[in-house]
Amino acid sequence: MLWLRGDIMALLSERAKGEALVRKPVTAPSAWQAWRYRLKVALREPTTLIGVLTALIFTYLIVVPIISIVLDAVRVQFGHERRLGKDVGDLTLYYLDRAFFSPVATDLFWRPLLNTLTVALGAISLSLVIGTVLAWLISRTDMFGRRWFATALIVPYMLPAWTFALAWTTLFKNRTIGGQPGWFEAMGLTPPDWVAYGRFPITIILALHYTPFVILLFGSALRRFDSQLEDSARILGAHRYQVAVQVILPLMRPALMSAMVLIFAKCLGEFGVPYVLGLPVKFEVLSTSLFRSIASRQTGVAGVVAASIMLIGIITLMIDARLVREARRFVTIGSKGSMNRQSRLGKMRLPATGFAATIFILSVGMPLLTLALSTVMKMPAKFTLDNFTLDYWIGTDLHTVALQTGILLSPELWAAAKNTMMIVGLASLVSGILGLLVGYVVIRTPVRSLSVYLRQVTFLPYLVPGIAFAAAYLSLFAVPRGPMPALYGTVTILVLALIADQMPYASRAGISAMTQLGKDPEEAAQIAGAGWFRRMISIVIPIQKGSLVTGVLLPFISGIKGLSLFVILAVPSTDVLTTYSLRLVDYHYTQAANAVVLIIAAIAYFGTLLAQKMTRTNLAEGLGS
Amino acid sequence: MPTINLRGAQKNYGVNSANAVSDLDLEIRNGEFMCLLGPSGCGKTTTLRMIAGLENLSGGEIRVGDRIIDSVVDGIFVPPEKREMGLVFQSYALWPHLTIERNTDFGLRLRKLPKAEREARVERVMQALDIAKYRDRYPSQLSGGQQQRVALARMLAVNPGVLLLDEPLSNLDARLRLEMRAELKRLHKEFKTTIVFVTHDQWEAMTLATTIAVMNEGTLQQMGTPNDIYDRPANRFVAEFVGSPPINILTFGKPGVSDVADKAKAYLAAGYPRLRGIGSIGMRPEAMGYTAKLEDVPQGSFSGEMTVTGVLPTGGSWILELRSENHTLFLTTHALPRVDSGERVFFYAPPEALHAFDADGQRITEADALLRNSTYN
Repeated sequence: MLWLRGDIMALLSERAKGEALVRKPVTAPSAWQAWRYRLKVALREPTTLIGVLTALIFTYLIVVPIISIVLDAVRVQFGHERRLGKDVGDLTLYYLDRAFFSPVATDLFWRPLLNTLTVALGAISLSLVIGTVLAWLISRTDMFGRRWFATALIVPYMLPAWTFALAWTTLFKNRTIGGQPGWFEAMGLTPPDWVAYGRFPITIILALHYTPFVILLFGSALRRFDSQLEDSARILGAHRYQVAVQVILPLMRPALMSAMVLIFAKCLGEFGVPYVLGLPVKFEVLSTSLFRSIASRQTGVAGVVAASIMLIGIITLMIDARLVREARRFVTIGSKGSMNRQSRLGKMRLPATGFAATIFILSVGMPLLTLALSTVMKMPAKFTLDNFTLDYWIGTDLHTVALQTGILLSPELWAAAKNTMMIVGLASLVSGILGLLVGYVVIRTPVRSLSVYLRQVTFLPYLVPGIAFAAAYLSLFAVPRGPMPALYGTVTILVLALIADQMPYASRAGISAMTQLGKDPEEAAQIAGAGWFRRMISIVIPIQKGSLVTGVLLPFISGIKGLSLFVILAVPSTDVLTTYSLRLVDYHYTQAANAVVLIIAAIAYFGTLLAQKMTRTNLAEGLGS
Repeated sequence: MPTINLRGAQKNYGVNSANAVSDLDLEIRNGEFMCLLGPSGCGKTTTLRMIAGLENLSGGEIRVGDRIIDSVVDGIFVPPEKREMGLVFQSYALWPHLTIERNTDFGLRLRKLPKAEREARVERVMQALDIAKYRDRYPSQLSGGQQQRVALARMLAVNPGVLLLDEPLSNLDARLRLEMRAELKRLHKEFKTTIVFVTHDQWEAMTLATTIAVMNEGTLQQMGTPNDIYDRPANRFVAEFVGSPPINILTFGKPGVSDVADKAKAYLAAGYPRLRGIGSIGMRPEAMGYTAKLEDVPQGSFSGEMTVTGVLPTGGSWILELRSENHTLFLTTHALPRVDSGERVFFYAPPEALHAFDADGQRITEADALLRNSTYN
């Protein structure tokens, strides 16, 4: 009797169990049913469709050009049919042989490669030494004015690198090449060639330009460093020096390595500086060698060189990705411990400040001052009142062959400025919007493979130095293919190339903005009854307004100071400010060229400030990515 | 809203990953205040999101009344925006660019209700939740507790058939949490909505729910009233998850290995010879007593001698930690303990306080009848 009662009670109290017994189990879905269901869920909203469309666009804008230039390297190019005894488009090893093994290979590839590597390594070493010291001074000591220096020392990165190259020539140009002499030459001190051109100045300038990288990356790692780790070592009896060597440095290694790799990747694609400073003494790096091959219509060899640059770039950044992964293993971001403790410099306080000030003067003050002065002086290095003039800015009826007005009154400048605004502006606008869309799709689509593909394809241009990417565009769009007319010399090719080139930043910004937003606000709207378009208009876009603005503004700034992409793809009718100033350099209109560079630098600098102000973020965060 | 029925619901996030939820049968009846209770990662939030449609199924189906709203086999998926449910997120997920009033009004606007009615309904929920004075502020200007109220108001405004709450109280401090619990209970009465509530906090579940569904590792462990869950845990997991300090479990192993468990085995064998297949027994700390003298142990109780190793006051009551060679037991007492660490005492538990589990940890329901309704012989 007792048994029975217990059973019934148990049954009653465990409703779920009881009913499960009565119910038939639901049949397990077949593979086809599961697939159909997933497809239905995926296609219910336009997210996936947009994802597929953008994936197609980026395949065409990014993957296809890269494949095209790699194919150029191994296929017979127009004009070589006779020599090779094959038709255009047949497979050939001729260009590989020519670039790597022929007697001219040294000039085409090996010496430029060696120069690239030595310049990059020199720049890396120098910037590491200067950068780590400055980063430490700024973030962990009581150096005078460290807040001011924290911004001021980053300025070189906001300016185009070849601003400094032009300043350097303004100062050190000697009689080896024509045109207005440099200031030292004019004062009777002829600088030797090795000071004026080639490896030495290129290394110095790249080092100064990329030192901010080290300051930003190393500095942020230092700031996030958990002081408790340091304290623990001190409490166990370690000296300051021992702490630095055994605790801090090992933990900082990933940040330092990452900075090194990034600088290397940037040096690889750097064109303006070696062009301005290397050409006079035939000092070639890979990017200038590629430019020469393209200029002399050696498409096949250009393909080989461009593919090599890409390969080195890809390997480098894969190393970086690995380092970043490794760095995650010992994340030292402490919540409590990461207080920003300062070391007292004591007697070294003044000398340390002096060091920082010197670097600032060398990397920002002097170059900009030189450039600015050079634009208001008729004769170099002649500091008398009658030598100063505003003619180069606003003069009229100047007795020169071309450019008979001051630069601000010259229609070419305004045409170039208009082109810049139009091309860079349009490209930035489109890539900003696409970036947000990509971010949305990557985060939201239920189709994982689509999300992975989009993320990777938009990141691909980051691995490819701009100059190689431009070459790839030239290879694909120079001739009509299929429904696509030949685009060389049009604004379209520049806009397309710029969009593709900016996608890594734009999509990263979009993805991080969408990640930060999280899915909750949108899901809440969905629960409240809002369909896809309503959610876009009422929730997603209004919330992401700010990041959309920066997503447009930041590519715009980098596009304005960009040179390597334009130098290959622009023609005089599509001149932008950067190529226009380069053209002026070529014509030896020093003052005018410097003036245009100053204008670009000003736009880039104030634009960056504006972007920072609007997002209340620091440049450092965008850099690490 | 008609009964919501999950049948064989399944969710995995990848072909090779373990099921987040597997073969879940769950029935949520109209007007019920159901709580999904379990440790983090047990699949309770996933279950909630499956009901809302924010997570699609990997198998099984969901019905509302007779209508299938989600089924892999039938290829049916009603999107979240058409399910007429309300969901309050753990993070509240208020729209940062809209004022409190606009946040509350959002769902009503979508339903294209006449302006007068919208205003009346917004007013009613804002009054009910005491947030009317913040109507023109933005979410970032409100405290956590206030944001919580807005999140609730926003969902209540559209009068959903069921209100799903995903750990809504976990971000509040202790006092606010208590207030909001009472508030939720009041709202449940006032709006007569079905509520499904996810929490890992057993007290929250106990105090609020009319039905508790305990989950672990993606499967339903037990469903029942709070008293059922506490008094008749269906298995050891439920027994150990619910209750604080946790239930004392004595696992029967090889004789001699475990002193107190051996004693329990002998006690049951002598008193209830018909009981078979016991793998372990559980005793809730608050159902146990202790005494310094053997003769004070109540007749028929299971008891044993152990050493006091800790007296932990918890304010109003005390937890005693008792140790023998192989065991540590906890018991709760409401009277000031007159023992100290190091002293030997006898603990005891009446037979009706014993929970018997088989070797797999499942409750032996037959044992309840014996232990609770007959006397020790």
